[in-house]
Amino acid sequence: MTDIQRYSPVTFESSVKESEVRDNWKIVLAYQNEGPGPWLVDLGHKTRWDLQDSQIDDPSQSGLSVPSSPGTCFLAEKKLINRMNRTQTAIWHLGIEETIIPDFNGFTDVTESTVFLALFGPDAFHVAEKLTALDLMDPARTTPFLLQGPLCHVPCQIVILERHADMSGGFIMTCSRGYADSMVQAVLDSGREFGLRPAGETRFADWVRKVQNQTSN
Amino acid sequence: MALTLTCPICGKRNGYEFRYGGEDKGSRPDEKGLSPADWCDYVHMNTCTAGVQKEWWFHRDGCGAWFSTYRNTLSNLEVDRPEDST
Repeated sequence: MTDIQRYSPVTFESSVKESEVRDNWKIVLAYQNEGPGPWLVDLGHKTRWDLQDSQIDDPSQSGLSVPSSPGTCFLAEKKLINRMNRTQTAIWHLGIEETIIPDFNGFTDVTESTVFLALFGPDAFHVAEKLTALDLMDPARTTPFLLQGPLCHVPCQIVILERHADMSGGFIMTCSRGYADSMVQAVLDSGREFGLRPAGETRFADWVRKVQNQTSN
Repeated sequence: MALTLTCPICGKRNGYEFRYGGEDKGSRPDEKGLSPADWCDYVHMNTCTAGVQKEWWFHRDGCGAWFSTYRNTLSNLEVDRPEDST
Protein backbone atom coordinates (compact mmCIF):
# COMPACT_ATOMS: atom_id res chain seq x y z
CA MET A 1 0.00 0.00 0.00
CA THR A 2 1.26 3.45 -0.85
CA ASP A 3 1.68 5.86 2.02
CA ILE A 4 -0.34 9.03 1.93
CA GLN A 5 1.49 12.35 1.69
CA ARG A 6 0.45 15.29 3.81
CA TYR A 7 1.22 18.81 2.68
CA SER A 8 1.41 22.00 4.64
CA PRO A 9 -0.41 24.89 2.94
CA VAL A 10 2.73 26.99 3.55
CA THR A 11 5.85 26.92 1.39
CA PHE A 12 8.95 29.08 1.78
CA GLU A 13 11.35 29.91 -1.03
CA SER A 14 14.46 29.51 1.15
CA SER A 15 16.81 26.58 0.52
CA VAL A 16 16.31 23.63 2.84
CA LYS A 17 19.35 22.66 4.91
CA GLU A 18 17.88 19.73 6.83
CA SER A 19 14.53 17.93 6.64
CA GLU A 20 12.82 14.70 7.62
CA VAL A 21 9.61 12.80 6.95
CA ARG A 22 7.43 12.27 10.00
CA ASP A 23 3.89 10.90 10.04
CA ASN A 24 3.72 11.42 6.24
CA TRP A 25 4.68 15.11 6.51
CA LYS A 26 7.88 16.42 4.98
CA ILE A 27 9.19 18.66 7.74
CA VAL A 28 11.96 21.22 7.37
CA LEU A 29 14.22 21.17 10.42
CA ALA A 30 16.46 24.02 9.26
CA TYR A 31 16.84 26.38 6.32
CA GLN A 32 20.05 27.79 4.90
CA ASN A 33 20.87 31.25 6.19
CA GLU A 34 18.13 31.65 8.79
CA GLY A 35 19.77 34.84 10.00
CA PRO A 36 19.79 36.42 13.47
CA GLY A 37 16.01 36.72 13.67
CA PRO A 38 13.16 37.37 13.80
CA TRP A 39 12.00 34.07 12.33
CA LEU A 40 8.83 32.69 10.76
CA VAL A 41 8.26 28.95 11.18
CA ASP A 42 5.66 26.79 9.44
CA LEU A 43 4.05 24.48 12.00
CA GLY A 44 1.40 23.05 9.66
CA HIS A 45 2.31 19.47 10.64
CA LYS A 46 1.69 20.02 14.38
CA THR A 47 -1.52 18.35 15.58
CA ARG A 48 -4.39 20.71 16.42
CA TRP A 49 -7.67 19.70 18.00
CA ASP A 50 -10.88 21.61 18.48
CA LEU A 51 -12.98 20.77 21.54
CA GLN A 52 -16.61 21.88 21.66
CA ASP A 53 -19.00 20.88 24.39
CA SER A 54 -21.52 22.48 26.72
CA GLN A 55 -19.80 20.77 29.69
CA ILE A 56 -16.32 21.92 28.68
CA ASP A 57 -15.37 22.82 32.26
CA ASP A 58 -15.95 19.26 33.44
CA PRO A 59 -12.72 17.26 32.90
CA SER A 60 -14.55 13.99 33.53
CA GLN A 61 -16.39 14.52 30.22
CA SER A 62 -13.50 15.35 27.89
CA GLY A 63 -10.56 14.06 29.92
CA LEU A 64 -8.94 17.47 29.64
CA SER A 65 -8.58 20.35 32.09
CA VAL A 66 -9.25 23.59 30.24
CA PRO A 67 -8.67 27.17 31.42
CA SER A 68 -11.76 28.55 33.12
CA SER A 69 -12.04 31.91 31.37
CA PRO A 70 -12.01 32.67 27.62
CA GLY A 71 -8.76 34.20 26.37
CA THR A 72 -6.57 32.30 28.84
CA CYS A 73 -4.19 29.43 28.03
CA PHE A 74 -2.31 26.55 29.65
CA LEU A 75 1.12 25.58 28.36
CA ALA A 76 2.40 22.30 29.77
CA GLU A 77 4.27 19.31 28.38
CA LYS A 78 4.51 20.99 24.96
CA LYS A 79 0.71 21.17 24.76
CA LEU A 80 -1.07 24.50 24.55
CA ILE A 81 -4.74 24.63 25.60
CA ASN A 82 -6.56 27.82 24.62
CA ARG A 83 -10.02 28.65 25.95
CA MET A 84 -11.84 30.42 23.09
CA ASN A 85 -15.35 31.03 24.42
CA ARG A 86 -18.00 29.51 26.67
CA THR A 87 -18.16 26.21 24.80
CA GLN A 88 -14.95 25.94 22.74
CA THR A 89 -11.27 25.24 23.33
CA ALA A 90 -8.33 24.81 20.94
CA ILE A 91 -5.59 22.29 21.75
CA TRP A 92 -2.26 22.73 19.95
CA HIS A 93 0.50 20.11 20.25
CA LEU A 94 3.87 21.83 19.98
CA GLY A 95 6.13 18.79 20.43
CA ILE A 96 7.02 16.00 18.02
CA GLU A 97 5.45 13.14 19.97
CA GLU A 98 2.69 11.12 18.34
CA THR A 99 -0.77 12.15 19.53
CA ILE A 100 -3.97 10.12 19.85
CA ILE A 101 -7.25 12.00 19.84
CA PRO A 102 -9.37 11.23 22.92
CA ASP A 103 -12.42 9.04 22.52
CA PHE A 104 -14.92 11.83 23.14
CA ASN A 105 -17.23 13.19 20.47
CA GLY A 106 -16.49 16.85 21.32
CA PHE A 107 -13.02 16.59 19.74
CA THR A 108 -12.31 17.35 16.07
CA ASP A 109 -8.86 17.09 14.47
CA VAL A 110 -8.38 20.37 12.58
CA THR A 111 -4.69 19.91 11.74
CA GLU A 112 -5.19 19.94 7.98
CA SER A 113 -7.80 22.68 7.86
CA THR A 114 -5.73 25.54 9.20
CA VAL A 115 -2.47 27.44 8.71
CA PHE A 116 -0.18 27.27 11.76
CA LEU A 117 2.73 29.72 12.01
CA ALA A 118 5.14 30.95 14.66
CA LEU A 119 6.75 34.39 14.55
CA PHE A 120 9.41 34.97 17.18
CA GLY A 121 12.77 36.51 17.93
CA PRO A 122 14.03 40.09 18.13
CA ASP A 123 11.59 42.71 16.81
CA ALA A 124 8.81 40.11 16.48
CA PHE A 125 6.22 42.57 17.79
CA HIS A 126 7.48 45.36 15.55
CA VAL A 127 6.53 43.08 12.67
CA ALA A 128 3.20 42.22 14.29
CA GLU A 129 2.11 45.79 14.79
CA LYS A 130 2.40 46.37 11.05
CA LEU A 131 -0.08 43.52 10.52
CA THR A 132 -2.78 43.92 13.15
CA ALA A 133 -4.54 46.48 15.33
CA LEU A 134 -4.85 43.90 18.12
CA ASP A 135 -2.93 44.84 21.26
CA LEU A 136 -0.43 41.99 21.51
CA MET A 137 1.49 43.92 24.18
CA ASP A 138 -1.57 44.52 26.40
CA PRO A 139 -0.04 44.95 29.89
CA ALA A 140 -3.25 43.69 31.52
CA ARG A 141 -2.64 40.18 30.13
CA THR A 142 -0.15 37.58 31.33
CA THR A 143 1.58 35.24 28.88
CA PRO A 144 0.55 32.86 27.50
CA PHE A 145 -2.75 34.43 26.41
CA LEU A 146 -5.09 34.14 23.45
CA LEU A 147 -6.30 36.92 21.15
CA GLN A 148 -8.95 36.23 18.54
CA GLY A 149 -9.31 38.74 15.74
CA PRO A 150 -7.95 39.96 12.42
CA LEU A 151 -4.30 39.82 11.44
CA CYS A 152 -3.76 40.95 7.83
CA HIS A 153 -7.59 41.32 7.87
CA VAL A 154 -7.91 37.52 8.30
CA PRO A 155 -9.69 36.10 11.37
CA CYS A 156 -6.95 34.44 13.44
CA GLN A 157 -6.28 32.85 16.79
CA ILE A 158 -3.05 34.28 18.18
CA VAL A 159 -1.29 33.06 21.32
CA ILE A 160 1.41 35.30 22.73
CA LEU A 161 3.98 33.04 24.39
CA GLU A 162 6.72 35.50 25.24
CA ARG A 163 7.12 39.28 25.05
CA HIS A 164 9.56 41.88 26.28
CA ALA A 165 9.66 45.67 26.40
CA ASP A 166 12.12 45.78 23.47
CA MET A 167 9.39 44.18 21.29
CA SER A 168 11.17 40.82 21.20
CA GLY A 169 9.46 37.54 22.07
CA GLY A 170 6.96 35.77 19.90
CA PHE A 171 3.57 34.32 19.18
CA ILE A 172 1.96 31.46 17.31
CA MET A 173 -1.16 31.76 15.23
CA THR A 174 -3.70 29.88 13.14
CA CYS A 175 -6.15 30.87 10.44
CA SER A 176 -8.09 29.07 7.71
CA ARG A 177 -5.92 27.03 5.34
CA GLY A 178 -6.93 28.93 2.22
CA TYR A 179 -5.21 32.11 3.42
CA ALA A 180 -1.77 30.46 3.61
CA ASP A 181 -0.06 31.92 0.55
CA SER A 182 -1.23 35.49 0.98
CA MET A 183 -0.70 35.40 4.75
CA VAL A 184 2.91 34.23 4.43
CA GLN A 185 3.61 36.76 1.70
CA ALA A 186 2.17 39.62 3.80
CA VAL A 187 4.05 38.59 6.96
CA LEU A 188 7.40 38.14 5.21
CA ASP A 189 6.96 41.40 3.32
CA SER A 190 6.16 43.28 6.54
CA GLY A 191 9.13 41.72 8.30
CA ARG A 192 11.69 42.36 5.59
CA GLU A 193 12.89 45.63 7.15
CA PHE A 194 13.52 43.77 10.44
CA GLY A 195 15.31 40.82 8.81
CA LEU A 196 12.45 38.33 9.15
CA ARG A 197 13.39 35.01 7.56
CA PRO A 198 11.91 31.50 7.41
CA ALA A 199 13.28 29.05 9.96
CA GLY A 200 12.95 25.33 10.58
CA GLU A 201 11.31 23.31 13.30
CA THR A 202 14.51 22.95 15.35
CA ARG A 203 14.69 26.67 16.06
CA PHE A 204 11.01 26.67 17.07
CA ALA A 205 11.53 23.69 19.40
CA ASP A 206 14.44 25.47 21.11
CA TRP A 207 12.29 28.56 21.63
CA VAL A 208 9.31 26.62 23.05
CA ARG A 209 11.65 24.77 25.42
CA LYS A 210 13.00 28.09 26.65
CA VAL A 211 9.51 29.58 27.07
CA GLN A 212 8.24 26.51 28.90
CA ASN A 213 11.20 26.60 31.29
CA GLN A 214 10.50 30.27 32.02
CA THR A 215 6.80 29.53 32.60
CA SER A 216 7.48 26.65 34.98
CA ASN A 217 10.09 28.59 36.96
CA MET B 1 -17.83 57.51 12.77
CA ALA B 2 -17.31 53.77 12.43
CA LEU B 3 -19.23 51.49 14.78
CA THR B 4 -17.32 49.77 17.55
CA LEU B 5 -18.80 47.08 19.77
CA THR B 6 -17.76 45.66 23.11
CA CYS B 7 -17.46 41.88 23.01
CA PRO B 8 -17.77 40.39 26.53
CA ILE B 9 -14.70 38.22 25.84
CA CYS B 10 -12.46 40.27 23.55
CA GLY B 11 -13.38 43.82 24.59
CA LYS B 12 -13.97 46.83 22.35
CA ARG B 13 -13.45 45.99 18.67
CA ASN B 14 -14.11 47.31 15.18
CA GLY B 15 -17.73 46.80 14.14
CA TYR B 16 -16.65 45.06 10.94
CA GLU B 17 -15.60 42.06 13.04
CA PHE B 18 -19.23 41.41 13.99
CA ARG B 19 -22.38 40.10 12.38
CA TYR B 20 -25.70 41.66 13.31
CA GLY B 21 -28.16 39.18 14.84
CA GLY B 22 -31.33 41.25 14.93
CA GLU B 23 -33.28 42.91 17.70
CA ASP B 24 -33.18 41.26 21.10
CA LYS B 25 -36.86 40.48 21.60
CA GLY B 26 -36.49 38.67 24.88
CA SER B 27 -36.83 34.98 25.58
CA ARG B 28 -38.53 32.62 23.17
CA PRO B 29 -42.33 32.50 23.81
CA ASP B 30 -43.79 29.47 25.57
CA GLU B 31 -44.90 26.98 22.92
CA LYS B 32 -47.94 25.94 24.95
CA GLY B 33 -50.92 27.70 23.42
CA LEU B 34 -48.74 29.67 21.02
CA SER B 35 -50.70 30.59 17.89
CA PRO B 36 -49.03 30.67 14.46
CA ALA B 37 -49.75 34.38 14.28
CA ASP B 38 -48.00 35.05 17.59
CA TRP B 39 -45.00 32.93 16.54
CA CYS B 40 -44.85 34.76 13.20
CA ASP B 41 -44.89 38.08 15.05
CA TYR B 42 -42.07 36.95 17.36
CA VAL B 43 -39.89 35.78 14.49
CA HIS B 44 -40.54 38.43 11.86
CA MET B 45 -41.95 41.59 13.40
CA ASN B 46 -39.44 44.21 14.59
CA THR B 47 -39.86 47.47 16.40
CA CYS B 48 -37.22 49.28 14.29
CA THR B 49 -36.61 51.76 17.09
CA ALA B 50 -35.31 55.19 16.13
CA GLY B 51 -33.07 55.51 19.17
CA VAL B 52 -31.61 53.04 21.63
CA GLN B 53 -32.48 49.39 21.09
CA LYS B 54 -31.18 46.07 22.44
CA GLU B 55 -29.61 43.90 19.75
CA TRP B 56 -27.91 40.54 19.23
CA TRP B 57 -24.41 40.52 17.77
CA PHE B 58 -22.03 37.70 16.81
CA HIS B 59 -18.25 38.12 17.05
CA ARG B 60 -17.66 36.48 13.68
CA ASP B 61 -13.97 37.38 13.19
CA GLY B 62 -13.10 36.90 16.86
CA CYS B 63 -14.11 34.57 19.65
CA GLY B 64 -17.37 33.34 18.11
CA ALA B 65 -19.52 34.53 21.01
CA TRP B 66 -23.14 35.71 20.70
CA PHE B 67 -24.05 38.57 22.99
CA SER B 68 -26.57 41.39 23.26
CA THR B 69 -25.80 45.05 23.59
CA TYR B 70 -27.47 48.43 23.18
CA ARG B 71 -27.02 50.64 20.12
CA ASN B 72 -28.42 54.04 19.26
CA THR B 73 -29.74 53.54 15.74
CA LEU B 74 -29.74 57.29 15.07
CA SER B 75 -26.03 57.77 15.77
CA ASN B 76 -24.97 54.13 15.06
CA LEU B 77 -23.00 54.07 18.31
CA GLU B 78 -22.99 51.48 21.06
CA VAL B 79 -24.42 52.95 24.28
CA ASP B 80 -24.76 51.95 27.92
CA ARG B 81 -27.83 50.07 29.00
CA PRO B 82 -30.66 52.62 29.50
CA GLU B 83 -31.78 52.90 33.09
CA ASP B 84 -35.43 52.28 32.27
CA SER B 85 -34.76 49.04 30.32
CA THR B 86 -35.63 45.66 31.83
